[in-house]
Amino acid sequence: MRRSDPPDPSVDTDRSASGIRCPYCEGTNTNREHPKGPSLCRSMHFCHDCEEPFEALR
Amino acid sequence: MPDNPSPSVESPDEPQTGYCPYTQYEYERDGTADDLPATGESARGLKRSVWEALYEVEDPEMPISVVDLGLIYGVEIEADHVLVEMTLTYTGCPAREMLLSDVQSAVEAVEDVEDCSVRLVWTPEWSLEFITEDGANALESFGVSVP
Repeated sequence: MRRSDPPDPSVDTDRSASGIRCPYCEGTNTNREHPKGPSLCRSMHFCHDCEEPFEALR
Repeated sequence: MPDNPSPSVESPDEPQTGYCPYTQYEYERDGTADDLPATGESARGLKRSVWEALYEVEDPEMPISVVDLGLIYGVEIEADHVLVEMTLTYTGCPAREMLLSDVQSAVEAVEDVEDCSVRLVWTPEWSLEFITEDGANALESFGVSVP
């Protein structure tokens, strides 16, 4: 696959990588830990405010 | 340089190969999704009943209906035949067969509906913006953030 091709959406991992609102404490001091989550439409994040991992739809 | 340069178009004629053949990756981001998601707000009568049945169909992993998730693109009714147009969040969604058959049987369970066919479409591409406010709230309570 040529690099100049548009990225496959499944590996388009740049979107919304940090600052996602934590569903537990509503903090936004968060980071994405991994682009893939328990299902294809979710990614794994970590909240530094409440120190909980959470999922986000992607 | 002009103040408002026209957006550049990236080789629209170049055939796309190597990706999922079911997906149209090149699409207009603006304008095509104005009437989506379809939520059946103005539906009356039999159509109303069909939409209510669709609201009962939930994602297999999350407490959100396929309507609130923004998967339903339209409902058409001809006599007692129903056609539902829907998409999935992801072309490779492992719940594809489950969701399609859940939608079909939910609609066919509606009184006065003879049969229902479900047409899977990928254009316009589903996006997070299609999730309704109710849906986003349900997901956040469940522990899934909706950016």
